[in-house]
Amino acid sequence: MYRTLRVCSNRGGYEAVPEPPFPIDLAEARRRLEREGVAVVDARVMLIAALEADVTIARSGRLLFKTQDALKAQRSFERLAALLGLPGENLAVRGERSGGPRSRPGD
Amino acid sequence: MARGVMLMSGGIDSPVALHYLLRQGHEMVAVHMDNRPFTDDSPLEKVVDHLTMLRERYRQPIPLYLIPHGSTQVTLMRNTDRHVGCVLCRRFMWRSAERIAERENAVFLATGEALGQVASQTLSNMRSATASVQLPIVRPLIGFDKQEIEAVAKEIGTYGISTRPGVCCQAVPDRPATRSNLVQILQQEERIDVEQMLDECVRKTVLL
Repeated sequence: MYRTLRVCSNRGGYEAVPEPPFPIDLAEARRRLEREGVAVVDARVMLIAALEADVTIARSGRLLFKTQDALKAQRSFERLAALLGLPGENLAVRGERSGGPRSRPGD
Repeated sequence: MARGVMLMSGGIDSPVALHYLLRQGHEMVAVHMDNRPFTDDSPLEKVVDHLTMLRERYRQPIPLYLIPHGSTQVTLMRNTDRHVGCVLCRRFMWRSAERIAERENAVFLATGEALGQVASQTLSNMRSATASVQLPIVRPLIGFDKQEIEAVAKEIGTYGISTRPGVCCQAVPDRPATRSNLVQILQQEERIDVEQMLDECVRKTVLL
């Protein structure tokens, strides 16, 4: 289950780490994303998908959203979760840098 | 004084190393390996800002070459062992820099490496990486510790730029090798077409 979006160590993006681990089949994820018209770089051990924010998808399920805007990261997570069937919704944002207080799409 | 090519990452160390070389009167050319999409725009923006500051300080033009490196990373990740990925990546950086040196009539390469600071900066990894090039490599910070480098970065005004938020390189493996041997590295490179990859990157290089 994904529960939080946390600012990454160099403060340049937001990461989401599933607890417990939620391994992702990258080949299947790539197929699903491309079927929906999402551009994907496939580096075999990870995918990089061009959503509203670029997101790195690791096999372990770790996600890194390359944006300093919490709302963009949140919207990108929600789209990705819908496309790939990831468990988690209404993620809490920790160590927010920008985008104001946590809000839900449509707020 | 000589003409050299400096690898600039956007981090704390490389502008400090460049500062020392400029202070000695060397004519420097900068190269930045563009790691997108494995990072964001911030390293390039930081390099541009570092160079703006150092050009002003030393009244030198310091041309900047931007070399695309993302597709190289993809090829390495798809075809070679992950744990030596940083060494293989580094070998491409050196080779690319050497190509720029040929173009710029430069006679040495330079970097902000300090011994043991990160996985790629152990002696065996440095040896494996630099065996890919012929030109001498100058490392002004080789014996510095991080605190010393940071103090100089603050003094010359580049620290604040280097420490702005950014996404770190996503291509770094979870457990990068700290000891590599050249035979093992050369075997890895047999799995890819090094010259073709290098030609492609250099062909797409942009002078900013």
